[in-house]
Amino acid sequence: MTLDKGPRRILSRLVSARAARCSVVLSFVLSGAAYPKDAEQSASTDQLQAKIAYCENCHGVAAQGFHGYYPIPRLAGQQPEYIKNQLQAFIEHRRTNNIMFNVAHVLSATLLDGLTENFQKLNPKPLTSPAPEDLIAAGKKIYEEGIEKSDVPPCAGCHGPDAKGNDQFPRLAGQLSDYIFNKLTNWSKERGQNPANPDTSTIMAPIAHSLTEQQIKAVAAYLNQLE
Amino acid sequence: MRAIRTMKFFGSHSFQLVGVVGLQLALVAIALTVADRVHGAERSAMHEGNVPAKLAYCEDCHGPSGQGFHGYFPIPRLAGQQTAYLKNQLEAFVEHRRTNNIMFNVAHSLSPGMISALADDFHAFVPPPLGGGARHLVPTGEKIFQNGVPEANVAACAACHGPNAQGGGEIPRLAGQLPDYVFNKLINWSRERGQIPSKPDTSAVMSPVAHSLTRPQVEAVAAYLSYLK
Repeated sequence: MTLDKGPRRILSRLVSARAARCSVVLSFVLSGAAYPKDAEQSASTDQLQAKIAYCENCHGVAAQGFHGYYPIPRLAGQQPEYIKNQLQAFIEHRRTNNIMFNVAHVLSATLLDGLTENFQKLNPKPLTSPAPEDLIAAGKKIYEEGIEKSDVPPCAGCHGPDAKGNDQFPRLAGQLSDYIFNKLTNWSKERGQNPANPDTSTIMAPIAHSLTEQQIKAVAAYLNQLE
Repeated sequence: MRAIRTMKFFGSHSFQLVGVVGLQLALVAIALTVADRVHGAERSAMHEGNVPAKLAYCEDCHGPSGQGFHGYFPIPRLAGQQTAYLKNQLEAFVEHRRTNNIMFNVAHSLSPGMISALADDFHAFVPPPLGGGARHLVPTGEKIFQNGVPEANVAACAACHGPNAQGGGEIPRLAGQLPDYVFNKLINWSRERGQIPSKPDTSAVMSPVAHSLTRPQVEAVAAYLSYLK
């Protein structure tokens, strides 16, 4: 089995990261005595690039999302405020995820700014899973209109008509469908886990509960193919 | 068809020739029966007969029930391995994406049917792990496997290989793997895998991880995995 562009991009990124490190060393040598401030800046740029590569190792090339043992979510185009909020939630155990707890607690505020800015700018094609057209159409209807008889408001009300999100409201467009399915079916077992410190995840709790599995599958199929 | 045409041709001539036609027909019929039997034998060999023999051949080096074995090289455990991973690696040997002369020779003679049958058999085996890793390194290895080394940008192994290291699809099972095999692979990753730049494969995902781990960290992870059931 071969992959086409993905790993090639990883490889070329590795090569260019190495080249960048060499040029840092080279410019240091050529300038004779580099100013400490310059050195610090290139060190932090290096650090950021290495951390981005680390995130993409699991979250996929260009943070498109990836299927490891778990579906690992797309971060590309995500709202910086949402990412920061979630990383904080992992640290405070408001959102339970052992791997992400460990990832999050070593990130400095500067790195967080750099990472979230980087991910918001990325715009790869969605990593789609095949879904029947009628399921996608049913999902679009739920997303745009909600389901009045079961008190499900339209998702578009908060996540926007294009599902791009805003501030604390996450972008959902292009998200992995199995990731969305897992999150919505487990909502109250993963989010808002610190009763003393309630967060915005409570808004989604009644919605996640009211949607049936089939309705969740439909919304997930619709969002998965949205660019 | 030819027999029928021959019969018609001869049939329009003398009565004597009918005997010859009959003989010819009989010969054709025998030939067809024999061909059928040979073909049938080949088919059943491909699906049944040869698989146990080939399995025994694999186990000769990979250990009973594909448990792994220490030959001159540590020869990996195949028991419980993901079928998609096994197929992908055999293909990688054939295409020289993964360099291993012995496995190239083993792999290139296997038919797709045989590969499927072998992969299914190995996936179903559950012998106990051979173990062998340094016991005192197991807790450190477990921590690295489950959490990664976030300060060194090493992703958690569990994110892709699963919390029990069973793998899934193209992502291999690591539980119970020989510790020296795991060590050798991680230390030599980019010299053995993804060797055709024009044909990059999933092995690229592991390159940054393998590069970022230190030798003691690799040893610890390998020790942890060696005892996992």
